Amino acid sequence: MAALGTSSAQENAAARARRRVLTRRRLERRLMLVAGSMGLVFLVLAGRLVDVMVFNGQRPGDTAVHGLPQDRGRADILDREGQILATDLASSSLYADARKISDPDGTARELASVFELDETRLAEDLASRRAFVWIKRHLTPQERFEVYRLALPGLYFRDDHQRFYPAGRLAAHVLGFTDVDGNGIAGLERTLDETLRQAGRDGEPVQLSIDLRVQHSLTEELAAAMERFDAIGASGIILSARTGEILAMASLPDFDVNQPGRAPADARFNRVTMGVYEQGSTFKAFTIAAALDAGTVTLDSRLDASHPLRVGRFTISDYRGKNRVLSLPEVFIYSSNIGVAQIARELGGERLSAYFDRLGLTRPLGVELPEVGEPILPARWSDIATMTAGYGHGIAVSPLHVARAAAAVVNGGHTVHPTLLRREAGALEADSVISTRTSEIMRALLRLNVEEGSGKKADTPAFPVGGKTGTAEKATAGGYDHQALMSSFLGVFPAYDPEYVILVALDEPKGTKETHGFATAGWTAAPVVGSIVNRIGPILAFAPSEPGETEGRHNLMLSSYTQ
Amino acid sequence: MLDTSFAGAAAPSALVDKLLEINWGLIFFLTLVACIGFAMLYSAAGGSFDPWAKAQMIRFVLGLAVLFIVAMIDPRVWMSLAYPAYGFALLLLIAVFLVGEIGGGARRWLDLGPVNLQPSELMKVTLILALARYFHGLTFARVSNPLFLVPAFLMMALPAALVIKQPDLGTGLLILGIGVGLIFLAGLQWRLILGSLAAAGAAVFAFGDWVWNSLLEEYQRNRILTLFNPELDPQGTGFHIIQAKIALGSGGIWGKGFMQGTQSHLDFLPERQTDFIFSMLAEEFGLMGCVFLMAVYLIILGYGVSIAISTRSHFTRLLAMGVTINFLFYIVINMAMVMGMIPVVGVPLPLVSYGGTAMIVLMFGFGLLMSAHVHRELEIPRAGALF
Repeated sequence: MAALGTSSAQENAAARARRRVLTRRRLERRLMLVAGSMGLVFLVLAGRLVDVMVFNGQRPGDTAVHGLPQDRGRADILDREGQILATDLASSSLYADARKISDPDGTARELASVFELDETRLAEDLASRRAFVWIKRHLTPQERFEVYRLALPGLYFRDDHQRFYPAGRLAAHVLGFTDVDGNGIAGLERTLDETLRQAGRDGEPVQLSIDLRVQHSLTEELAAAMERFDAIGASGIILSARTGEILAMASLPDFDVNQPGRAPADARFNRVTMGVYEQGSTFKAFTIAAALDAGTVTLDSRLDASHPLRVGRFTISDYRGKNRVLSLPEVFIYSSNIGVAQIARELGGERLSAYFDRLGLTRPLGVELPEVGEPILPARWSDIATMTAGYGHGIAVSPLHVARAAAAVVNGGHTVHPTLLRREAGALEADSVISTRTSEIMRALLRLNVEEGSGKKADTPAFPVGGKTGTAEKATAGGYDHQALMSSFLGVFPAYDPEYVILVALDEPKGTKETHGFATAGWTAAPVVGSIVNRIGPILAFAPSEPGETEGRHNLMLSSYTQ
Repeated sequence: MLDTSFAGAAAPSALVDKLLEINWGLIFFLTLVACIGFAMLYSAAGGSFDPWAKAQMIRFVLGLAVLFIVAMIDPRVWMSLAYPAYGFALLLLIAVFLVGEIGGGARRWLDLGPVNLQPSELMKVTLILALARYFHGLTFARVSNPLFLVPAFLMMALPAALVIKQPDLGTGLLILGIGVGLIFLAGLQWRLILGSLAAAGAAVFAFGDWVWNSLLEEYQRNRILTLFNPELDPQGTGFHIIQAKIALGSGGIWGKGFMQGTQSHLDFLPERQTDFIFSMLAEEFGLMGCVFLMAVYLIILGYGVSIAISTRSHFTRLLAMGVTINFLFYIVINMAMVMGMIPVVGVPLPLVSYGGTAMIVLMFGFGLLMSAHVHRELEIPRAGALF
């Protein structure tokens, strides 16, 4: 028993030992399995590390922080000489993740100590569980610093851009402006929105046809005239007669583009492109050009302006008329409604409207601005409609329409397409509207008008100007207001081979002692053009004429037609 | 009989002998990792030992002291302390659950006067001890007996549930991971493993909705959702991930150089001194720096496994593996989080991230590992607890 017991105990011990070895092996297998998976996990980690760090790493700026699209900014806008008209300033905006704000009232109160804000409303916003709440856009560096110093939780800055217009009010209507997010919402900023974004990404500026110096001269002269004649508004445009480039465009009252929100709607209105009204006598240039080109009149034509013209129930009369038979140049320089009405009737509605059409007077402008007005045309080119349209009544267009048509009339007869973007020279292909000969006669007539007619006050001794006045009574409900005038002057410069068309219009000018109480264009708008030409002539690199040089061939020839 | 006759025979008993048994290689690599941490904390503070690097150094030295002391103590003492310590940690967890101080929206800390104790960290170590003791006391056959599995399962599930409810999803899952790892190492039969996996799958299928909606906090759900599409909620949970990925991506192969990281120095990186310190390392030292750190980590893990293999008793083996697995989980979860592979959870990069409790508890764990090494020849009977 004892021996047996010992042997069984030994067997048991041996079996136990064997089991222990087996168990131990099994456990070691487990252990190695765990160790192996550790290595495997590390391999996966290392693989992912290489993937993230070398192949698919995100670089700063790849991803929008806090879900906001990145503000990559817009391109600079330059004038034709490279001066900055609009640029992006690096800025930062403050927002909050309301979910991370534990004390909305305290946060709002502390922020209110840094800058002005509606504390109650902000506290409400911050108490919401919204993940995103704008607090203030475009902080000044000082404000940003102060907010940082408050060290409040849940507040974040977003780096973005603020649009800045160094020239302030200059060319405000041309440039337009952006909303707070940098989306163009007016002017070129709106029309060229996509271009400016794209160009901004490429780091390229966008260059305009505007010349800041010319723009400044125009604006200043207009403002001075507006004040002098107590006008309620003024507009002006300087257009290259050959290329259609707009060198300057101004509408007064204007506004500071940096703060468009503070400008009244009246100031944001672009009179040059949006303002559509009856232009009056400046249209006579177009009617006469059309008739000369069609051959229905010649320089030798004589027109009876001895008494008012009765057409049906209308009577067409002249303002301070000569009451006699006039030569064609006299019709033009004395601005005879009676004479032009006869010329228009002779030409006929169909042909007159066709000429107007080709001069671009009846169509939308096609300039790069969203704020453009459509011409208002006679419903039917009846005799009376044709006759009044001939001297600029019963047809309403914008000042830019007039400048554009005038460019074609004086540049040798080619249509131009007005643009605010700088054009490369020689890229022009234009349709001919009137013959070169007609265009030459028109230059002479415009010059004659400044030498001897209604445009005398536009002349300057140094730079010969040609031009035509236009005084229109402003249309009111059911008729015309005889006291409220729109006085304009259509100038071309230099007179004998015009390169620029300058159109100036004053809205409701009042006569002064110097003008002997007259508010008509010859007294008010014409001198403005003279002053402008005096200023921009040297800027545009024209040499002043020697005394006597202005007595050119055209005026001598045409002077013989006047008595 | 045999067991006791061997016991202590080969194991060194004198303090001097024990000191000679210290694994200095392991100490060296632990110190190396800690030094990487000091450098990063120095850089995170913009080139200053304050406020992080100096404090971290003091803690590491303190941790080393803890390690040495723990390593000198006989594993049987730890085995005897296992259940009381576990019970104590569980009580603390319950206490935190009831009266814990709220930090960052979560009740994790217990304010004990001078120290802010994070009981979930303590729980991890005591769970390893408790499970190691439990399985040490079981015969191999009983390990796979469901009746004997229930206590082990409760031992890990109870604290895990408490921690997840704190809410601290990361640490909760870590506790579960350690528990599952130890049960696996204890020798649970494969058919039971596969069976419980199937059961778990079925449970997820059956109760997944309920767990998702009722058990998880809203922010935990968000974290899981945004993981796969951080850009979905870039201002919230996705922010960390995106910024961390940017930091990783901008490091390239060689990095921008020490103290040259922009993502981290310009305050883009949140929590750069704690959970996201790895992205800082990535930005400044590039792929090479990261691979170096991972290699050192791997070596330390290798030490852990080799100690586990060489030790004779089941308790110390499980103890060593428990500590090693815990360390692994830290590393893996932190790195995977920073690389955007798993949701953002509050798990530090071990020995590198700034943080007090984690450092001391980690060093305590390595002390246990070292104790297993020093006492590797010690055989402990099944009922080997001293008290």
